[in-house]
Amino acid sequence: MFLQFFYTLREVGIPVSPTSFLVFHRALAEGLVRSVEDFYVTARTVLIKSEKYFDLYDQVFAYIFEGTAIAERSEEELDMLAMSMLDEWLKNPKELAKSLDMDEEQLQKLSPEELLEYFKKRLADQEGRHDGGSKWIGTGGTSPVGHSGYHPGGMRVGGVSGGKTAMKVAGERRYRDYSIEAPLSRAALGEALKRLRNLVPQGAKDQIDVDGSVYQTMKNGGEIEIVFERSVVDRLKVALLIDNGGWSMEPHVEIVQTLFSYAVSQFKDLSTYFFHNTIYDLLWQDPARFRRPVELDDFVQKSDPETRLIIVGDASMAPYELMATDGSIHAFERSGRPSVDRLHFLAKSFPHAVWLNPVSQRTWDYTRTIGVIRSIFPMFELSLDGLEQAVSHLVRK
Amino acid sequence: MSTFTGSGTYVLDEELSKIVNISMALEMPLLLKGEPGTGKTMLAHAVAQSLDMDLVVLNVKSNMKLIEALYQYDTLTRLNDSRFGDSTRDVSDIKEYIRMGKIGQAFMAEKRCVLLIDEIDKAETEFQDDMLDVLDQMEFDILETDEVVRARQRPVIIITSNAKKDLSDPFLGRCNFHHIAFPEQKMMRKILQAHFGDISDKLAENAIEAFYGLRNIEGVEKKPATRELINWIRALQADPDFTSGKMLSQEIPYLGVLFKKSGDYQRASGAMMKKRFFR
Repeated sequence: MFLQFFYTLREVGIPVSPTSFLVFHRALAEGLVRSVEDFYVTARTVLIKSEKYFDLYDQVFAYIFEGTAIAERSEEELDMLAMSMLDEWLKNPKELAKSLDMDEEQLQKLSPEELLEYFKKRLADQEGRHDGGSKWIGTGGTSPVGHSGYHPGGMRVGGVSGGKTAMKVAGERRYRDYSIEAPLSRAALGEALKRLRNLVPQGAKDQIDVDGSVYQTMKNGGEIEIVFERSVVDRLKVALLIDNGGWSMEPHVEIVQTLFSYAVSQFKDLSTYFFHNTIYDLLWQDPARFRRPVELDDFVQKSDPETRLIIVGDASMAPYELMATDGSIHAFERSGRPSVDRLHFLAKSFPHAVWLNPVSQRTWDYTRTIGVIRSIFPMFELSLDGLEQAVSHLVRK
Repeated sequence: MSTFTGSGTYVLDEELSKIVNISMALEMPLLLKGEPGTGKTMLAHAVAQSLDMDLVVLNVKSNMKLIEALYQYDTLTRLNDSRFGDSTRDVSDIKEYIRMGKIGQAFMAEKRCVLLIDEIDKAETEFQDDMLDVLDQMEFDILETDEVVRARQRPVIIITSNAKKDLSDPFLGRCNFHHIAFPEQKMMRKILQAHFGDISDKLAENAIEAFYGLRNIEGVEKKPATRELINWIRALQADPDFTSGKMLSQEIPYLGVLFKKSGDYQRASGAMMKKRFFR
């Protein structure tokens, strides 16, 4: 059972090392584990090394160790469930009505709000009557990881938890907020960008300048004076190009701005430009993309080729906007060079460049222009992991 | 073996005390993560207090080198001593100029002590990995004198990190891990009780209510934590208008105690205004 527990943890993607499993066995051997609660706490402390995985751990624990009828659902989940029922209802009223076992016409008379209320009532109702034993996670051969977008798949209307307290604790899923699926927050972004800060020339004055010291000492007539100098740290210039236009970027603007506001404090040498959709002849220094245009050629010429170029954009547009010679929506950008050429030009001018995409990586294959741009710039997801990869890519010499 | 059960002003949940005891029994460092203000640092103080051990605190800084945490060879003093010759130290003896850093002190301590390594995430990855090597082997060399410093007793090691980001894998592999979530309202009530023995129920409940409401305001960058709540209650207790706690449902004073960033402050007072109008 322990082994199965261990392998299930690994299967669902928690990096549990064999060493830590051995440590865990030592804890068992030393008699530190005397109850299920002890087991739950000890195994988590020893095996799980990040709060990101606490939620998954809770699920696996409940899954392996018994009954797995799961705790009451919160109000929120009920809301979510009801919402998705409403969606379902809009798509296919007949089927839903049938599965709820009631008259379609009756339901049709209700307003959306009333419908929601009704669904919720039905769901809460269900909880009372439904028998236990329903496995709440992954039925039918799926893993216990519920891929819950807004459709909380895998989740069932379950009975009241009859298990032991540790089971209940695990069932509460207190750590859901910390799981990997959580959206990128402001704090998390700052955290990721902190890694770049190491490259700012801010070494402490902690190295003795031997020549300087000898010189000063002689000058002082033998009175020893020690001269310190700053240790040399890589000097990093960063240019940030942000796509802030168009409805397709609208939902991401907030997150990009956060990234941007952190970025400003991280580097001394940071220039920010804006563009719409993709890059043609001009970049803008003002977010409104109106007052301070910069010619792309100028920008490239004036920048150090060692500059790290970070482009943030969803890279999603109509193919002609990227490929056609007159793709730009601005009539004054008519140099006759398609955007894709411009991007190649940028990529060639700046060997250290990345494209950060707020669109989830899973869906990249569905947008053609993302594929094209990916072949030009190394593209990373605008998430913690993606940022980390991007940073390590940029830091590489 | 002595076990840890909590101390005067530190309210401990059962889970955490188990974790501390397990780590002590397994002789592994305990890595604590969690929002600022969840009492990570305080835990080490509480452990030291309740087990009657000395506490050695190593505050990690961003440009810190491992050697500083182990020992320092004070070349400058030696140089000065050799020039002026007016000190009692023996200039020809290097040992006189070796000073133990925090880790060194913890190793040399007569009694088993608690070593708190605070905010490890500030340092470079190399520092973190090298440090764990030292803590693993419980010894280090002093290059200048070619001596080996061995730990007399293995200290209880508690490491804290504020980072959302994970530390390196080898580091994590050698630690036990716990994440302290922000306390729930009930727990917070206990914490307040531990800090203010004489607090009135009304004030505590209303203050907690208002506090969690304020924490939920959207877009706040630095959410107020336990420390802020305690200071805020101190302020409330000092103000005769609010000591009873009744007024809190209508007005929330001293927002500046809770929100330290001007943007957050404005956001919070804006939200308060809205609440008052749309009641």
